[in-house]
Parts: sequence; structure tokens; C-alpha cells
Amino acid sequence: MVLTQTILKRTPLPIAILDNNLKFLATSDKWLEQFQGQKDLLGKSFPECFHDLPEEIFIDIQYCLEGVEQRSDATRYINKNGDALWYEWDVNSWLNEDDSVEGIIVILKDRTLSQRNRLLLEKSQQVARIGHWEVNLLEGTLYWSKITREIHEVPEDFQPNLETGINFYKEGHSRDTISELVNNAIATGSSWDTELQIVTKNGREVWVRAIGEAEMVDGQCVRLIGTFQDIDKRKKAEINSKIASERLAQATNSAEIGIWEYDLVQNDLVWDDNMYKIYGVSESDFNGVYEAWESTVHAEDKARSAEEVQQAISGEKEFNTHFRVVWPDGQIRWIRGMATILRDEEGIPLKMIGANWDFTELRNAQMKLAQSEESLQGAFENSRVGMALVSKEGVFMQVNESLCTSLGYTQEELLQLTFQEITHPDDLETDLKLLNEVIDGKRNTYQIEKRYLRKDGQIAYIYLTVTGVKDIDGNLSHFISQIIDISSRIAAEQKLKNLFDLTSKQNESLLNFAHIVSHNLRSHAANLTMITEFLVSDKITEDERDNAKEMLQTATSGLNETIQHLNEVVQVQVVSEEDLKTLELEVILKKVLNDIDALIPHEDSSMSIDLDTQLEVKGVNAYVESVLLNLITNAIKYRHPDRPLKLSIKGSANNGKVMLSFTDNGLGIDLNKYGNKIFGMYKTFHRNKDAKGIGLFITKNQMEAMGGSIRVNSSVEKGSEFILEFKAA
Amino acid sequence: MAVFQTACIIDDDQIYQFGMKILLREVDFSEEILIYQDGQEAIDALQERLSSGDTLPPVIFLDLNMPIKDGWEFLDDFVQIPQRDREQVNIYVISSSINPSDEDRARKYEVVSNYIVKPITSEKLLEIIAQHQ
Repeated sequence: MVLTQTILKRTPLPIAILDNNLKFLATSDKWLEQFQGQKDLLGKSFPECFHDLPEEIFIDIQYCLEGVEQRSDATRYINKNGDALWYEWDVNSWLNEDDSVEGIIVILKDRTLSQRNRLLLEKSQQVARIGHWEVNLLEGTLYWSKITREIHEVPEDFQPNLETGINFYKEGHSRDTISELVNNAIATGSSWDTELQIVTKNGREVWVRAIGEAEMVDGQCVRLIGTFQDIDKRKKAEINSKIASERLAQATNSAEIGIWEYDLVQNDLVWDDNMYKIYGVSESDFNGVYEAWESTVHAEDKARSAEEVQQAISGEKEFNTHFRVVWPDGQIRWIRGMATILRDEEGIPLKMIGANWDFTELRNAQMKLAQSEESLQGAFENSRVGMALVSKEGVFMQVNESLCTSLGYTQEELLQLTFQEITHPDDLETDLKLLNEVIDGKRNTYQIEKRYLRKDGQIAYIYLTVTGVKDIDGNLSHFISQIIDISSRIAAEQKLKNLFDLTSKQNESLLNFAHIVSHNLRSHAANLTMITEFLVSDKITEDERDNAKEMLQTATSGLNETIQHLNEVVQVQVVSEEDLKTLELEVILKKVLNDIDALIPHEDSSMSIDLDTQLEVKGVNAYVESVLLNLITNAIKYRHPDRPLKLSIKGSANNGKVMLSFTDNGLGIDLNKYGNKIFGMYKTFHRNKDAKGIGLFITKNQMEAMGGSIRVNSSVEKGSEFILEFKAA
Repeated sequence: MAVFQTACIIDDDQIYQFGMKILLREVDFSEEILIYQDGQEAIDALQERLSSGDTLPPVIFLDLNMPIKDGWEFLDDFVQIPQRDREQVNIYVISSSINPSDEDRARKYEVVSNYIVKPITSEKLLEIIAQHQ
């Protein structure tokens, strides 16, 4: 009895033995452990001590008291405190010799805790979409749990077998893999844990995690059990993230951006492949600490970049900088670096993650650009062509020295002006018209010859090229003007034109002269021919013969005179500057007056002379003498018959010239009629026998030969005024 | 009997006038010879003839280079005379000038019959007579 009592006491089951009055005869320790607080149960009534139990237990006990051998069940029970409890029981009747019920053995397990765990597991399996399955190889059956069926999207009454199960896996890699794993497990007892794709009954492709284990009995596989989890969301996210990170890797790779991560706590610096390329080192030569990086930085940049790292870590300043690194082969490369700091909740820096890239080529290109801009600026400033940047409104924004020189303004003055203000008014319209065509996009550039007004009021002739400059958006921002000063060219052209005009005029007068000479020579020759013929013929009377002889004399002397004039004219040639002498007018005038004193009708004339003192001219003595002689004798010859001659001679120096005028009160010449002929050869205007029409022609030529000129004012019956203009000495 | 009633010489050259008179007489050119020293004198005299009811001379020998009013100016004045008073007039320009521009210019005047380069000869006068017979 002691033994049985000991066995009962130690049994790991909660057992209570009751007599047929349901009073406790004995309990196991496990019972006492399970129902703590119930002590000294022996002799006490079970229903009284354990009234808060599911009713079913008492019903089963009652059955057993009435002779039923065994009752067992399990149930969920809400006790009086409202707690949900699970009980599982097994009630047996205990019979004596006469088969009457002696007592009851009750095994009552409080399964609440394990049941709760089971429920939690199920719940969690549901949430985690984990189903389970079991293959009984002996019976050839396959069991799928509810979730497994749900994952396969099959109805609850679906009966799978091993083959249909495997066929749910996607054809190809997934199905091949699971077939092999299952076969291996059956053959060798191996287990598996893999992620594959199935195609559900509805045709959806779903990623699952399949875990399986084989159960071996005597080296033979009898069962396969496992779980089946829907990991589609995670897997797809994972795949997407993999694609994304691959893409990033590709991007950083092709952009040659190096990514690094520096663990501040561990002093562990991790570089990606690009970093090694950027720093020109191999992975094996880099020991992955901060100092390894620092040692690659150019000596001149080391202190600054180290400080910038510290500033980034302290949060003072973002890490966004550049520095030079020295490659093992000595090459110097320019690196751009950016980084962010990862911190914990308390703001303690944990990691620094950043990117580096090599911008050496970019920098070189920028340097070159800067240099070319600089040289362009140099070209602008030093160009001998005038250059200006001009705003759309015409304001000079920038001008070079050359333009300032051409226009006679200082830079400061020009920058206050618009081109409109300094453009010759007659040229403004043309310029603005073309400029507006550039503004309207009809043309990009134009060239014109135009005139600017210099600061001193003189005209600057320029050749202008205007080009529109567009901003990044393609809108016109300003103009570049190139201004070539062609004033000197224009002046040279003008000089050439003048020279040409002079030559043409001289040519013309030379031809004219040739015809006049020819005319006069021929007229004398014709007369001589005619008279000679008369003299040798008998056409004429004796009286006429005498007359003819006289005329022969006249014609001959006429011919002589003409030849003499011709000589005089031919002798008047343009005199070069160095042949011009300084002559005192008064001296020459006095000599001339002295020479012709006999011709002057003193009793019938008055003459006044008023010369500035020391009036000196540039000239040829003989010419000046001849000119003065001619003008004075003309005044005498063509004096008015009705009144005494009054001749006034005045001389003055003025602005590099010497003016000498001869004013008389003689016959005068009708200038409206003869104006352009008065200085012509053999032009006479009075019926005066002495008029030869050669004097003024020669006078004019002599004056022009000395670089001077002659002009006349006159009115009929009143008198004439000849004005000589000499170069002053 | 002379070919023309009147011939007119307009020239300032005395020798020419003298020679011309002899030649005109030689070929019996005209009954009467009018001589003017320059264009002004000539145009004044011709106007005078018209206003006194006389006709204009049918032949005028005109020099170009003269003082006061030269041959061109005379021509310009002459063409101002009404057409009916001058339609019988033939003007011969007699000049020493061999300048082609002078000849061209002279021929532009409708009233100018010919341009004759000095010296004038009796043969040239006979040609003029022939043209009018």
C-alpha cells in the first residue's frame, strides 16, 4: 500500500482518487501543484472543494458512479472570476470484488496554459500566413492545413496528394527544385528550407517559403512534415529592393561615384569598388581605417578636410567639399566629397556615409574655360578694333580703350551714354532698323558703315558689326559691337577723290586748252593761206592787194602772239612746295606800279593802297608780278569812259592765307551771263581791241600753280572786285 | 545776176571779213553782203531788219568764237525768231575749231545747214550755190 501510495503521489499526472461518496482518498503531488491552495484534501468532498469546474466533469463522474468504466473529454470553461480556462479530464470507475463502484479515479489537467500557447501559435501562423502539411508515405496521403489550402487558393474540401502538391509549384526552376528536394529527403532523410514560386488555383504566382523534414523509421522515410509560408509580399519587396539597389550600384558605377561608410565607433571604413578606382589603390592596400583615407589626401588639403570631417561629425557644418588626393603613382586628382552622419536617438554620431567622385577633368575644363574667358577679356581690352557690349536699350555696358580713342570719350563718359546719342542723326534710322531686326530675331548680326559724333564734335567714320548675344533661355540679352575706325580711310578716300577731281579738271582744261590753241593757230593759219592765195592770184584789185599785204603782216604777228601766249600758258606749271619762295607783296606791288607808270592815266585816275605791314606770301616772284600786272592793267583797260578810274588795292593776312583785293569802278562784267567763262582762255567781254581773252586765264593758272586762287565780284556799269588768295608765308 | 540777194557774215576777224568779201564776189554769191563783228551786233541788226519789214538774209556765215556774244549764243537767240520769218535762212558755221564736240553741237541746231572748217575757199562757196539751185 505504501508503494502504491508513493507511486500515486509521484506520478506526473494530476490524479485524485475519490471514494463513492466523492470524498478524496488520495491525490498526486501534481494535482496539488496544479490546484494550489487546496490543501488537506483527504476526506473532503470533491464537489465541495472543486465546485468551480465545468459541469461536464460532474456529469462524467456521475456516469462512472453508475458503473460506466471511463469518461474523458475536454472543454473551455469560463470560471466565476471570468477567466477562460481549458480542462481536459479522464474519469475512471474503480470497482470492488462484487463489481460495485468502490470509488472514482479522476485525472484532471488544466490545459489552459498550453491551449493558450497553441491558440497563439495558430493565430501567429495565420498572421504570418504559415500553414503546415504532412505527407504519409505509407498511406500515400497528403494533408494540408487551412492556411496551406488558403495559400494555394483551393477550397476546404480539396484533397491534395504528393503529385498534385508538387504540380502547384511553378514549372521550371521552382518545380524542379522542390521535386529534387523531396526526392532527396525521401532517399536520404535530408530536410529543406527554400523559397520558391507556386501558381495558385486562380493562376496567381506567389512566392512561398517551404520547409520540410523527413521522418525516418529503420532507415526508411515514412513521413514528410513541414510548413508552408506565403512570403510573396516580402519576396517581391526584396526583389524590388534588390533591383533598386542594383540600379543604384549601376548608376554609381557608371557615374564613377564611390560610396563609403565610416563606422565612427569602430573606426571601420568600408569602400565600394568605385572608391578604390577613384583613389587609385587596390583593395588589398587599404586597411579600412580613417587614417588610411587621410594618408591619401594631398598634404595641402589634409588639415582642412580633416577639420571638415570633424565639423560634420560635430554637426557644425555639412560635409560638402573637395580635396586633392595623391595616387600611388604620384598623380594628383581632384575629389568632390559629400556625406551625412547617422546618429542614434540621443544624437550620438554612429556612422558617416558619403559619396566621392573625381572631378579632375571637369575642373580642368573649367580652368580652361576661365582661361579662355580671361584671354577673351584680354582680347576685348587690348583689341585695336573698338569693342563694346551694348544693352538692348543701347546703353554701353562695357567699352574698350580703342573705342574710347576713336570717339574721344573716357570709359566713364561712354558708359553714361547710349549709342543713339553719339550716332550721326542721318545714320540713326538705318542702324535702328537693322538693330530691331536682330531684336525681332530676323537676323543675328549686321554690318554697316556709319558715323559717330566724337566728343569734340568731329565726325568719326566707322565700320560697325553688331551681333546679338542670347542667354541660356535663347532670349536676346545684349549686343556685341565691333567698331573699326575708318575715318583715316575715308579721309584718304576723300583726298584721293579730290585728287582725282583735280586731275580730271586738269585733264579737261588741258584738252580744252589744246582745242583753243588749235583753234587760234588754225585761224591765223587759215587767214595766212587765204591772203597768200589772193596775192598769187588775180582775183583782187590793186587796192585790195595793198590791203592784203598789210593783212599778211597782221596775220603773221597774230600768229606770233598766239605762239607767245602758248608759251606763257605752257610755262605756268604747278610749282612744288619747295619751289615756293617767301615774297613780300608790297615790294612786288611797288615794282609793278613803277613798271607800268607810263600806262597809268594819272590825271584821270586815283589809286589807294592799303596793305598790312610785312605781308608775306608763298609764291613764285614772276607769277605774282604777272598777276598783279594783269589785274592793274585790266582795271585801266576796262575803266568806265564816263568817269575817272578809282582803284583800291587792299591786303590782309587771315588764318594762314593772305587776301589781296583789287576794287575798281570800271565797266564791270555781267557775271550772270559770263560767270563761268571769265577766267576761260580767249574769252573777251568787251569790244575792246586790246582784249585778247588770255590775261585772266593765265592769271588764274598762275594763282593755282602757287596753291592760291582768284575770284571775282562784279556788276555791269559799276565796277569789279578781283580777290586773290595766297598761301601765307 | 548773183545767186542770192543777201549774204551775211558774222565774224570778228578783219582778215577773214576781207577775204570772204573777195571770195563771195568771185563766185557772184550775192548782190549784197552784211557784215557784223559779233553775235550781239548781228542779232540786233537782224531783229531791226524784221521790224522794218525786210526779210532775213537767206545765207548767214557764222563764226563761233567771238567777244560779247559768241556763235552759240547767237544761235540760241536766232531760233527765238518766229519760224515763218526765218524759214528761208541757211546758217553755215565757219570756224577754225576742229573740235568734234563743236561740230556735233552745231549740227544739233536745225537752222545750221553745214559746219565748215576755215580756211574757206571759192570751191566751198560754189558747193553751197549748187545745193540751192
